[in-house]
Amino acid sequence: MKNRRHFLRSSSAFIALPMLESLGFRRFASAASRTPAAPPKRMIFLGMGYGVTEDSWFPSEDQPGTDYDMPAGLKPLERHRANFSVIHQLSNRWSRSGHEGSTFWLTGANQYEGGATFRNSISADQVAATAFGQHTRFPSIQLSGADPDMGHAGHGPGLSMAWDARGKPVAGLNSPLDLYHQLFSPNTTPLKERRLMLEQKRSVLDAVLEDAQDLQRGLAKNDVVKLEEYFDSIRDIENRLVRDEDWQNIPKPEAPIQAPPTGPVGKSEIEVMYDLMIAAMQTDSTRVLTYRQPISTLLTSLGIKVAAHDMSHYSPGERRDASQRRDLAQSELLASFLDRLKETKEADGSSLFDHVSLVYGSNLRTVHTMENCPTILSGGGAGVKLGHNLIMPKNTPLCNAWLTLLQEVGVNVERHGDSTGTLSALLG
Amino acid sequence: MSRIQDFGTVGNGKTNDTEGIDQDNGWIRFATEIYRIALISITYATLSCLPVLAQDTIRVAMDERHRTLLEAYCFKCHDADQQEGQVRLDDLPFTINNIEVAERWQKILNVLNAGEMPPKENKPLPDRGKTDFLDDLANIMVTARKKLSDQSGTITIRRLNRREYANSLRDLLGAQINVSELPTDTSPAAFDTSSSSLIMSSDQFEQYLALGRDALNEGFARQENRDVGFAQRMEAEDGNLERIRKTLNTRMEGHQRYIRWKARIDELARLPENQEAVARMRKLNQGRPPQDFHHWWRELPNAPDPQDYGFTDSRHATHVGIGQWNTIAHLAWYISQKENDAGAWLSIGDNAVLPWYTFQANIPAGDYVVRIRVGANPDVDAQRKFIEFGRRSQGFVHLSTHEVAGTVNQPQVIEIPITHTVGGDRVFFVRERGTFDTGQQSAFKFNRGKQDNGIAPDYAIWVDWAEIVQLPDSEFATPAGLVALKDAETNLRDALQQFAVVACRGKTLPDSLLDRLVNIYKAQRATGKEHQKALVETVAVILASPRFLYLSEPVQGNLPPMELASRLSFFLQGTPPDSTLRSLAENNRLTNPEILTAQTDRLVNEPGFLKDFVQPFAHQWLDMERLDFFEFDHQRYPDFDNSTKEAARQEVSESIVHVIRNNLSLTNLLHADYVLVNSLLANYYGIEGVKGDEFRPVRIPQDSPRGGLPGMAAVHAMGSNGVESNPIERGVWVLRKLLNDSPPPAPANVPQITRLSDQLLTTRERLAIHQKEPQCASCHRKIDPIGFGLENFDAAGRWRTEDHYEYKNQRKSWAIDASGKFHNGPAFANFFELRDQIVSREEDFAAGFAEALVSYALGRPAGFSDRELIEQMVAHAKENDYHAREFFHVLIQHSIFQSKPQN
Repeated sequence: MKNRRHFLRSSSAFIALPMLESLGFRRFASAASRTPAAPPKRMIFLGMGYGVTEDSWFPSEDQPGTDYDMPAGLKPLERHRANFSVIHQLSNRWSRSGHEGSTFWLTGANQYEGGATFRNSISADQVAATAFGQHTRFPSIQLSGADPDMGHAGHGPGLSMAWDARGKPVAGLNSPLDLYHQLFSPNTTPLKERRLMLEQKRSVLDAVLEDAQDLQRGLAKNDVVKLEEYFDSIRDIENRLVRDEDWQNIPKPEAPIQAPPTGPVGKSEIEVMYDLMIAAMQTDSTRVLTYRQPISTLLTSLGIKVAAHDMSHYSPGERRDASQRRDLAQSELLASFLDRLKETKEADGSSLFDHVSLVYGSNLRTVHTMENCPTILSGGGAGVKLGHNLIMPKNTPLCNAWLTLLQEVGVNVERHGDSTGTLSALLG
Repeated sequence: MSRIQDFGTVGNGKTNDTEGIDQDNGWIRFATEIYRIALISITYATLSCLPVLAQDTIRVAMDERHRTLLEAYCFKCHDADQQEGQVRLDDLPFTINNIEVAERWQKILNVLNAGEMPPKENKPLPDRGKTDFLDDLANIMVTARKKLSDQSGTITIRRLNRREYANSLRDLLGAQINVSELPTDTSPAAFDTSSSSLIMSSDQFEQYLALGRDALNEGFARQENRDVGFAQRMEAEDGNLERIRKTLNTRMEGHQRYIRWKARIDELARLPENQEAVARMRKLNQGRPPQDFHHWWRELPNAPDPQDYGFTDSRHATHVGIGQWNTIAHLAWYISQKENDAGAWLSIGDNAVLPWYTFQANIPAGDYVVRIRVGANPDVDAQRKFIEFGRRSQGFVHLSTHEVAGTVNQPQVIEIPITHTVGGDRVFFVRERGTFDTGQQSAFKFNRGKQDNGIAPDYAIWVDWAEIVQLPDSEFATPAGLVALKDAETNLRDALQQFAVVACRGKTLPDSLLDRLVNIYKAQRATGKEHQKALVETVAVILASPRFLYLSEPVQGNLPPMELASRLSFFLQGTPPDSTLRSLAENNRLTNPEILTAQTDRLVNEPGFLKDFVQPFAHQWLDMERLDFFEFDHQRYPDFDNSTKEAARQEVSESIVHVIRNNLSLTNLLHADYVLVNSLLANYYGIEGVKGDEFRPVRIPQDSPRGGLPGMAAVHAMGSNGVESNPIERGVWVLRKLLNDSPPPAPANVPQITRLSDQLLTTRERLAIHQKEPQCASCHRKIDPIGFGLENFDAAGRWRTEDHYEYKNQRKSWAIDASGKFHNGPAFANFFELRDQIVSREEDFAAGFAEALVSYALGRPAGFSDRELIEQMVAHAKENDYHAREFFHVLIQHSIFQSKPQN
C-alpha cells in the first residue's frame, strides 16, 4: 500500500460511518420557511465521578411524578424543578469496578468481553459526534478536570468521558484557556505555511505507516490483530488532517466571552468550563460536549480537607459532611449552568436550553455501588419529560436511556452498548 | 502437592474497599464472565483448525453430592414437565465444558446469591447445605471461566509500557523526560506488561512524537551542558533573620496603630450622649466575636476612620491588630534562638517563620548532587530528626526523606543525587518530616507542639546551607543514540540507520523507509530549520514508529537471540538489553544455559532490578495501590505520615529484593527473623540502633510480630480505610496473596456495613452478620477468621492489644481476641500461631509467586498451559529450600520463556 490516499479510502471500512441524516433538523424545521432554520440539537454529558450521598441526594422513590420533595442535595436546583427529571433504577449491567464512575458510563461495555483484561466500546457522545460532527469545526469537545488526582477521583481509566468507535480513550482538554484558544483564537500562521505543515505531517504518517506495514509482514496472526491498533491510530490522525484542511479557510467565530484566566481550580474551573461550553454552543463550534468533572480540586476549593476517595465513603462526621457539601456545590453549579442555557438565545429567539439534551450523573451510585445510578436529564432537545421523579423498572439499562436520547435528537442508531430498546417512559 | 489451581488471578488487581462487607470487584467478576466466555468460544469455533489445548485435559465439574439438593428443592418446579420460567434443571450436566452449561449454572448462582430462589412460599434451602453448595459452585465458576478463556500459551506482540518507554529513552539518549501524560497501562486485572492492556489510542501517536522530540532535545542539551561544571551554594540564613525581624517590626507597629484607633473609639463609646449608638453597635455585633464591636464605628458620631490610621477598613484593622498580633510571640521567639544568624531553624506550619527552606538555582539539564548541611536539635524526639526533600513547583513534590544525625554544633552534610530535565521548576525544599502532608496535619502538630511553651513547638531542624553541584561528565558515557547521530549532518542516512538499530533493539530500517526519513529531514531544512532541529523532527519519527514502540518477536518457535535478550532485559530490568546482552546475542551465545544463568544472576544484581523489576512487580502483584486509597487519620496516627508510608512501602520491595539477591528462601517473605528497615522505619517499629537512610536487614527478637509480609506496616495499612482496620480486606489479601487460594468474587452491590455505624459494637460483632446469611457465609467463613487473626495491627500497622469504637461521644473498648480457626482447617490462638499456619503453607505461597512471575514475564495471564512450567518452578525451588532465584532460573531456562508460541 504505497499510496496513502488509497490506504485512507480502504480504511473507511474499519470505521462504520452511519449515514449522516440529521432527523432532528427536519422535524424541527418550521413550516413557515421564512423563519430561520431551526437551531441544531446538541448533547451534553456531565460526569461527576464518585456518586452522591445516597439519603440526601435522591428524591424518594415513594414520590414518583412531579410532586416530590426536593432532597437537600438537589435544593439549589429547586428553581429549575420543572426543567429537569431525576431518573431512578438505571444501571450498566457489566459495571463492577466500584471506583470507575465514568469509564463505562456512556458505553455500557463489558470490560472482560472476549477474554480481554480491558476493553471498552464507543460512548454515546461519540455516536452523536459521528452524526453531527460534519456540521461543526469540532465534531465533539471533551473536557476533563485539571485534577492531578483524577485517578482517585472515581472516574476510572480513560482520558475523558469519551471513547471512540474502537473503544479507545479520547483525549480531553483540561485547560479552559486552551479550549478558548482552540475555539476562538485565529490561526495566525499564513496559509501557505499551514499547508506545508500539513504536508510534513503527512510525510511523517507515511513513514510510520510504511514501517508498520513492513513490520507486519513477519508477524503471526494474533500480532497482526494487535498491530491493527497502531494503524487505527494513524487513520484517526489522517482523518483529522483532512478535517483541518476542510476548515482551514473558514475563519473562527468571534469570541462571545473574555478569555478565561489561566488555571482556575475546582469550583471556579467548573464555572469557567460551563461558560466556555455555552460559548462553544452559541457559536455552533460543536454540538456534542462531555465534561469529566474534577473532584479533588473541587473539594479543596470548597475548603474541604477530606480526600476524594475518603469522601466517597462518607462515614458519619467529617467525611459525610464533605460528601454533602460536594453534592450541594455541584447542584449549585449545575443550576447556574441551566440558568445560562435558558438565558442564551438562538437565532430564532428560542434558547440553547430548548435544543440541548443534557445528562448529569455517574456510573457510581453511592460509595462503590453501581446499581441505580444517579441520573439527571434536562433540556428540551430530546423531548424528555421534565419536572418528574421517574422510577424505571429495576436494572433498566443506562444504554436504553442513551439510545432514547440519541434517537430523539435525531441520530439514526438502532442500538447502543447493551441496550435492549428505548424508554418511552422518559418522553413527554 | 502444591495447590496450583488458581491461574490468572494473581494480579487480578484491586479489591474494592467498600467499608465492611466488601464487594470485591478485583476477584473475577462473575456476572461479566459468561458473556466473556461466550465470545471466547465463538473465537475458537471460527478458527479453521483448533489447536490442541492444554486445558482440554482439565475437567470442570460440580460435585455430584450436590445433586440431591437440586433434586429436593428445585426439580419440583424446574423439571421436564414443569419448566417454570423456562428453566429446566433436571437435565443440567454437572460437567461444565461449554458456554451454555456455564450460563445455566451461573443463573443458579445468581438467583441463590440474590435470595430469589426458592420462592418465599416454598421450603427454603437448609443454611449449611446452601452455604456449601454456593461455596463449591462459586469456585467452579471461577475455574470454568479460566478454562474457557485460557489463551493457551499464546504470546502476543505488545507495545512498550510507560515505564519501559521512559527507560528506553533514558538508555538511548540519556534523557529523563516526563511521561506522566501517557496512559499508566496499569489495569486492575492484569500486569502492565500484559499485551491486552497495552492499547494504542489515536492521541497517543502524537504524544509519542512530541515526547520523542523532548527526549532528543534533552539529550542534546545535556551533551552541550556536560562541561559547564555548575556549582552554587546558598546560605539558609541569608535574608531570613532580617525578614523575620522586619515582619516583627511591621506587626508591632501595626498593632500600635490599631490600639490607638480602638482607644479613640472606646473613648467615644463611653460618652453618655453616644449610648444609643453603642446599643445599635452591640445589636449589629450580635453573634460575632466581641472585638468585632469596632467594625460598627460608623454608627458612632465623630468616630475616626480606620483609613486615618493606615488601614484599608475596619476588618483590616482587626486583622492587623489582633490576628497578626498572635504571631508576634513566635517571631520574637525565633529571633531569640541561638545560631539563627548562621543558619535557619525550620518551624511547623507558621508561614511567618520558616516552615520549609526553599532554594533554587538556574541549572541546565543534567545530573547533579544536592548537598544540604543540616543539624538537629538534640532535645527533640528521635522521630523528628528527619528532613523531607523535594521539588517545589505548584505544590510540594516530596522526593525523599533523610535522617539527620548531626547537631547544630556538629552539622552533617546530606547528599542527594538529582537529575534535571530541560523543563520544570528549579526550586527545591527541605522541611521537617511529617509537618506538611496536609494543612490539617501542620495545624495539628503546631498546636500539639506549642503546649509546652505556649508559643510554638521546639524547632527540630537547623539548616546551615544547601548547594547544587553538577556531577563531572567523566562519570557518564555518551548515550548510544547520540553516538549514532554524531555525524548525521554529513552522513544522514547512515546515522539514521545506526540510530534505528540501537533504538529498535537490533532491527534495521528498509531502504525505502530511510528514503522517507531523509526526505522529511530535507523538507525541514528547506523551511529554514537548522540541522539539529531538522534532525530532531526526523529522528522523532523513528521514536514514534512501531518498530521502536512494539516488542515484536517476528517468529514462531524459538526466539532469535536478540529477541531473547530483549525479553530477558525487559523482564528483569524494564529496559532494552544493555551492551553485554546485545553482544552475547550477536555472538549467538545467550542461549547457552550457563551463560543465560550467569546473565540472569548479573541482572538481578544490577541496580535497575530493584527499581524496574521488584518495585513495579511487587506493587502490582501485592495490590499495593491500596496504600494510596485513603489518607491516614493524622490525629490518630500522627507518626504514620507520608514519610513513614513511603518507608513502609519500600520495606516490601526491599524485603523481596533482599531474598532474591541473596538467594534466600522465599519463605522469609512469610516470616523472617529479620526486618529490612532504615532508621525511619526502625524508629516506627521501635527497633533501636539503626542509623541512616538505606535499608538493611536487622535481626529482631523471636517474639517480634515483625519480619515477613504478615508483620509489615504497609500490608496492614492496605487493609484499612485510614482510620480503622478492615479485617475483610486483610483476610482476602492473605488468601489471595499468601495462600494462593483466592475467594470467588462477592456478588455485586452488597449492602454497606456502615448502616451499623450508629451502634456500639466490637469489630467481631459488627461483622457477625457475614455468618448469618448463608450466601455470605460461604466465603466469609474463610475470610473473616484470618482477618480477625490480624486485628492486633491497627490501621497504620502498629501493634495493639486493645481496640475501640466511638459514636456520638460514646465509646466502647475491648481487648483484641485474635484467636480463630481456618475454615476446615487448624485453629490458632493468636497472631503468632496464625503466622505459623501461613508459613506451613509455603508451597502454596510459592505457587502464587511463580504464577505471578510467569504472567508478568510473558505479558499475559498464566494459563492452564503454563501449569507444567509453574509446577517445575515450585518443585525445583522446593528441592532447594525455596531459594528465590530458582524460580527465575527455571522460568528463564524454560522453552515457554525462550519461544513465541502461537495458537
